[in-house]
Amino acid sequence: MSKGAKLKSFLYEHIYIPLRILAKSKTSLVGLIIVSVYVVMAIVGPMIVPLDLTPHREKRFMPPSLEHPLGTDFAGRDIFAQIVHGGPPVLRVAFLAAFFTVLLGTVIGIASGYIGGKVDLVLMSFTDIFLTIPGFPLLMIIAVWLMQSRLPVTEPIVALLLSITSWAGLARAIRSQVLAIKKEPYIEVVKCLGLGRFHVIFKEILPNMMPYIAINFMLSSIGAIYAYTGLLALGLLPYSPGNWGAMIHMAQAYTGTIGTGWWYVLAPSMAIIILQIGLVFLSSGIDKIFNPRLREE
Amino acid sequence: MSVTIEAREVTKIFPVAKGIFSKKHYIRAVDRVSLGIRENEIVALVGESGCGKSTLGRLLLGLIKPTEGKILYMGKDIWSLKGREYEEFRRNAQLIPQDPYSALNPMKNILSQLTPPLLKYKIARNRKEAVKRAAELLELVGLVPPEDFFKRFTCRLSGGQLQRISIARAISVQPKFIVADEAVSMLDASLRIEILDILLNLQRKFKTAYLFITHDLAIARYFAREGRTAIMYLGNIVEIGETENVIQKPLHPYTQVLIQAVPVPDPDLAAKRGLPKLRSLEIPSLINPPPGCKFNTRCPYAEKICEEKVPELREVKGRLVACHLY
Amino acid sequence: MRWIVKRAIIALLTIWTAFTITFVLIRLMPGNFIEMMILYYMNTYGYSEEEAKELVYALYNVNLDEPIWKQYLDFITKLLQGNWGVTYCSRAPVLDCLLYALPWTVFLLSISMTISFVIGIGLGMFMAYRRGGLFDGACSVISSISSAIPNFILGLLLLYFLAIQYPLFPARGSYDITIEPGFTLEYVSSVLYHAFLPMMAYVLTSFGGWALAMRGSTIRVLGEDYVIAAEARGLKSRRITWTYVGRNAILPLFTSFAISLGYMFGGSVFIESYFAYTGVGQVIGLALSFRDYPLIQGGFLLIITAVVVSNFIAELLYGVLDPRIRRGGGYE
Repeated sequence: MSKGAKLKSFLYEHIYIPLRILAKSKTSLVGLIIVSVYVVMAIVGPMIVPLDLTPHREKRFMPPSLEHPLGTDFAGRDIFAQIVHGGPPVLRVAFLAAFFTVLLGTVIGIASGYIGGKVDLVLMSFTDIFLTIPGFPLLMIIAVWLMQSRLPVTEPIVALLLSITSWAGLARAIRSQVLAIKKEPYIEVVKCLGLGRFHVIFKEILPNMMPYIAINFMLSSIGAIYAYTGLLALGLLPYSPGNWGAMIHMAQAYTGTIGTGWWYVLAPSMAIIILQIGLVFLSSGIDKIFNPRLREE
Repeated sequence: MSVTIEAREVTKIFPVAKGIFSKKHYIRAVDRVSLGIRENEIVALVGESGCGKSTLGRLLLGLIKPTEGKILYMGKDIWSLKGREYEEFRRNAQLIPQDPYSALNPMKNILSQLTPPLLKYKIARNRKEAVKRAAELLELVGLVPPEDFFKRFTCRLSGGQLQRISIARAISVQPKFIVADEAVSMLDASLRIEILDILLNLQRKFKTAYLFITHDLAIARYFAREGRTAIMYLGNIVEIGETENVIQKPLHPYTQVLIQAVPVPDPDLAAKRGLPKLRSLEIPSLINPPPGCKFNTRCPYAEKICEEKVPELREVKGRLVACHLY
Repeated sequence: MRWIVKRAIIALLTIWTAFTITFVLIRLMPGNFIEMMILYYMNTYGYSEEEAKELVYALYNVNLDEPIWKQYLDFITKLLQGNWGVTYCSRAPVLDCLLYALPWTVFLLSISMTISFVIGIGLGMFMAYRRGGLFDGACSVISSISSAIPNFILGLLLLYFLAIQYPLFPARGSYDITIEPGFTLEYVSSVLYHAFLPMMAYVLTSFGGWALAMRGSTIRVLGEDYVIAAEARGLKSRRITWTYVGRNAILPLFTSFAISLGYMFGGSVFIESYFAYTGVGQVIGLALSFRDYPLIQGGFLLIITAVVVSNFIAELLYGVLDPRIRRGGGYE
């Protein structure tokens, strides 16, 4: 095959077919559009909309206008610019955390199901423990001590922490799938063909896990956005202006004291809510893109 | 002719109902079985479900390790093979499973399941050649045009088509020995002969040795007409010999009962077949098999010795039978 | 029985893990927090080193002069004895502070959980019976939206719009402090009135998850042979709905109980703080803003213990309802 034809068949299999399947369900399509808009905004937005964080005392809490489409905050700064610039960190942390979650859950689930025996017992007890420990309170206390320790709290570290509280469900699901698939005749055939353990795990078992992995990727990015903005709203992560969670924190602080404009409460809230709705809608159909029956149509 | 694969005094014990607080039980799925299959030979292995015939097949393929005894490939113990020799054995012992719908990975297209073994054993030097070879294989099992099947998934193919692909994959690495485990029992009756003929043609062409596992004597008779048939009961081979001999003149009482159980289209003929009646219809449990001959609880000819002594396979009238009657 | 023992062991292990995590966090956090606190007391309040040490050791249940394994044992023993340290702000025992606030949180969460569970179950079953229709489509979208909205954001929106901008409901407190607490109609209605918005924040963000789970579960059960056979036998459809479908469809939902309760407890830190509701969440919220570490740690341990214990009770209930589990088979 020529390079061009290869690229074409790659795009057809990995872009065109999944999109065609997603577009069949209105909910997934709406979700896809919402998430795409957020991603495009996060990439292009900061280049177009400048962020000016210098306080303008005379312009504080101004309602939406042509000059400030979403009004101004307690220091007279443009809320719209902050919303635009607040997107990239939230998306970065969410997708990184989802990636770590999927990695942890898949590795532990496959190891537990494939190796079995004592390894399975230990890993699954561990999984059960993490399934029961409430995630957000655990994150809270880790964040408190992390703040105290003065360690640099970078986005990958936050993402890793978020993934610690969310891998267990996926690990359980993957384990029971591996246990079922391990006994399938086609695995025996592949073993007879001598294709080796690497092939069995990555080329035979893993493709069967893709629907679970995809769904859990979406669900854990939803969970990560909740936890990340929540920790910021509690002031448990280093404050950075123009971050949606930090904006919620300030909006809440002003609501309880000297009062604030509805737009300052609504802007970050809606930014988070709409993104979450988009992800939930998208996740409702994401497993279908791996369904061979639908792929073949 | 040399023996390709051989089971020598092989026993497989499985634990059942395992738990921390409950007592472990064991079943002897295969009990001191010896069986050799020669180059280019077809052996049909017949028995009721749960008699250990699939376990024996898996033992011969090296998929499970025997508890006792040895599996020899070309005279060497397969569990002590290393490196190149092991790879050589792996390539030469293949499986065609029972259910065509689970013989192939449902999440992968057909082509991606055919090419990896071709590339692994250097049967094809590159991807392009592997694709070409895969097409030839599909043609060989009667799937034309082969390109139509490459990008398909199992969910849209029929049982017959899937079984053909499964066969194509098994022969793709040119094995010396194939275990076909109930390879046609899940197919429509009308398709069975067709698939059996494909297997027989390929067998003649490549001179492969076959262990053909089935519960259906008629199919064994058709497929192993030029080979041998072995009858298995509760983990033991009770009779083995030339297929026509075994079926026409069964010696072991269990074989006689099995053959009697095959329905005959002519009711008069069926009434005339004056074969012995079973003493009990209940199959004894594998966890607690009866002492002596395992068939003694049901055998119409059982005597005292049958409850005491395990019969060994002995040569009787040109075949091997494990029964105190002879 | 074996199954119950297994779950009990897991529950105890979970609590033990939580205890250990808090110890590791205090003791092994880089920058040695305990030494920093000692220096802080010496520099800020002019304590001598001895005095500062004594104070910090009492606050955090940790004695740096002892070997690490003994520190760990002491820490765990004291926690088990109910000695959870004293609060940084008022020097009151941590456990007392928390247990005083606990009934309010239990009241709020148990009622919210029950309401959202009942709404979710009903809606989910209804959706499953009308699957594919307009009602199902609309409710699926509403349920998805419900499960997508973070509870702390809905709490803030409810507070801002329904308590401050349009003060239909009280913005602060768990009851009107001018009313004498007691079993009077006035007091009870005041409590319910104050609990309304916080409850809405929980219920509206969690019924959707239950509804979607119940919908999926019911559809699975409706396809089972025993339901089809029951229909074929001509049993009354109401009887099939409740005894055959409902019961079997609800069972799998028990496994999400811990996750849902943990989510609500996490949310309580926001919602009780926003509404100045006198529960554990508000105590933790205040402790967070004053950096009252012993109290934060205690709150964390209390939440985990509460979630683990209620989850264990839910699992027992599940075991009673599902004979397959009771018989001691494993679950996958």
